[in-house]
Amino acid sequence: MANISKFSEKWVLVIDDMEGMRAQLRMALTNSGFAKLHVVGSIKDALERMASNRYDVILCDYSLGDSTDGQQFLEYLRTSDLISRNTLFVMITAEQAYEKVVSASECAPDDYLLKPFTAGQFNARLEKLLEKQEYFAAIDKATDAKNWVAVISECDKKLPAKDKYFVELCKIKSSALMRDNRSQQAADLYREIFALRPVGWARLGLARALAMLDKKDEAQALAREILADSPQFMAAYDFLGKLLAASGEKHAALDVLQKAREVSPGTMSRIRELSTLAVSAGKPEIAEAVMRQALQKHKYSPVRQANDYAVLSKALVNQGKAAEALSVVADAQKTFKDEHSSIVLSATASVAHHAAGNHEQAEAALAKAMAVGDMSKLPAQTVVSLADACFAMGKEEEATNLLRHAIQNNQEDESIKDKVHAVLIAAGKDASQATEMIEASTQEVILLNNDGVRKAQAGQLAEAIELLCQAANRLPNNLQILGNAGLVLALDLVRNGSTPDRFDKCLYYRDALIKKSPNHPKIAQIDGQLKQVTQ
Amino acid sequence: MNDVYAAVVHDVKNQLAELALRLGERGDAQQEMVIAMNAARRLSEMLLVHRQASDLLGVNVDSVNPADFLEILAAEYRELFPKLSIDASVDRAPGFAFFDDALVRMALANAIHNSCRYAQSRVQLAAYMNDKMLVFEVSDDGPGFSDNVLAEGGMAPSSVSGEGTGLGLYLARKIAELHHLEGRRGHVELNNTKGAVFRMILP
Repeated sequence: MANISKFSEKWVLVIDDMEGMRAQLRMALTNSGFAKLHVVGSIKDALERMASNRYDVILCDYSLGDSTDGQQFLEYLRTSDLISRNTLFVMITAEQAYEKVVSASECAPDDYLLKPFTAGQFNARLEKLLEKQEYFAAIDKATDAKNWVAVISECDKKLPAKDKYFVELCKIKSSALMRDNRSQQAADLYREIFALRPVGWARLGLARALAMLDKKDEAQALAREILADSPQFMAAYDFLGKLLAASGEKHAALDVLQKAREVSPGTMSRIRELSTLAVSAGKPEIAEAVMRQALQKHKYSPVRQANDYAVLSKALVNQGKAAEALSVVADAQKTFKDEHSSIVLSATASVAHHAAGNHEQAEAALAKAMAVGDMSKLPAQTVVSLADACFAMGKEEEATNLLRHAIQNNQEDESIKDKVHAVLIAAGKDASQATEMIEASTQEVILLNNDGVRKAQAGQLAEAIELLCQAANRLPNNLQILGNAGLVLALDLVRNGSTPDRFDKCLYYRDALIKKSPNHPKIAQIDGQLKQVTQ
Repeated sequence: MNDVYAAVVHDVKNQLAELALRLGERGDAQQEMVIAMNAARRLSEMLLVHRQASDLLGVNVDSVNPADFLEILAAEYRELFPKLSIDASVDRAPGFAFFDDALVRMALANAIHNSCRYAQSRVQLAAYMNDKMLVFEVSDDGPGFSDNVLAEGGMAPSSVSGEGTGLGLYLARKIAELHHLEGRRGHVELNNTKGAVFRMILP
């Protein structure tokens, strides 16, 4: 058969917890000409294989025993960037679960096979899928690099043909437009698709774009309309919940997410959203119930994070169950031993000890958490947890410094501001104090940046370099500062001549910026200067 | 049907499916494999009817290439009925159309299966546009539908007859009806020309 050679070069991973099914899939794949094949029975084994191998096709059963299901696993893989967008993920599912699979528009598999299926059907579908894989290769490569401008231009090359992938191309392009903050263009494209057919993902996409364009009421109305038409559309609940929470309607948001949970227990990201929201809305009992159940279900699964235990601990502390909180943290400490997790869990333990009246242990746990020297590389969430622990121990100044750092290092991330706000409120500040603190921290970093730029414009390059590089080292996630540090270094090279050391220093900041944001406008400016240097 | 029954039906269906796959591997039990596979699918349909009756059957419309869609179905049934000639005529099919891939696949699979059972030598699949509607057609060179089926085929699930078309047709109608757009609703047409002709017409 013609397809044998085509299949034989492709790496395939099969994940199924049933031994009989594994044997059959292995047989079916071998008969179809697949030669590079790994077959595993658990997510853990699958991850081990993935760490050392790049797969073209992953075939995964939806139901993987009592633990994490195939859909939750796929979400984990995609959100953690563990597989290329070009890797075909095919879900094998029985008829009850298929709706959950196809309605998961955030992280939909590339295809699904409804059991029972025959070898002929299986081969025919794989052949079509591999054809599609080839068609989308360039787009997927740009998606992996998070280079949204390239994704859009690759789509634009293929759209005029209006071929069988037209709608799929529109979907990818519109979501790339959203990622590139071109919400108006995204909204226009979603409306175009809408005119062809009001498919669920286009309606939700339009709602997202409207929310970004600050038309929050319209976005909310549209999301509610989608849910009235298709109560199974999980992504719409998630979106509506976030939208309501962001506008301060915590209880309404909580209602939406709980309703979603009735339809489907859902992925860890929804559980996280729901339990964090419940804690901050003063409903720790809901957070406890939801998180406990999820952690029990995913007991041995990699989809859990140390922070999930931190949320559970907080929910318990807020209900006066400090002893239970401590045992939750102790449990988590057995599993999560990496640096970030240790910090989060020590900070969490400190809060729980404090609540239990163990002041010495609380101090010790906090000291352990704070022992890390360089805050700049910690995820913002970790820094915020540390601040929370500091407040509990009455260390106002440390706490405020940490929060200021979290805001300044993530200047463009609105969700960090929400988290900081929540911690400040929990620490007994009133809303206006919290807003004022966040505003002041933001202003401070803006002034610092402007100061550097002004110095450069006034020809004080050495001072500008010192100021901006120091700031960039302290706040490596602040893209504005990172870009300006690179730019003043490049200007200096043009004006004062290049040396290898200073050239490398400039590239260091430029490359750091590219890694975080490949389309950042500062990159072109830096490169424009560097061109003059090398010529 | 209550949920306990549904769970049992589901379990039996899975066992039949596994049996079918094992028979398929043997190579000398092709006909037995087809029987087991068909039995499993019947139970799948029954579960879907149960969902539909409880108002749980949701339709997920998205863009599908009708040509690929039919070619995959044809490949599948060529394997199940190797003696028949099964073609997919897709020259007039649009590049993309909007419907629920899984549900329509199930409905057409049933229609194709019936045609394969009654056909003498040939089953033809086709997709084309007619009056802004997408038409999927399954036709065969068999004796055609009985008068009974033509008169009331698929109107109610209780019309399960000796021919065994009742449930599948009922479900196909329901699936077609779940597809609607701007006042136009999907439907199913049956008629006898040379043999049986099944059409699913979707907006």
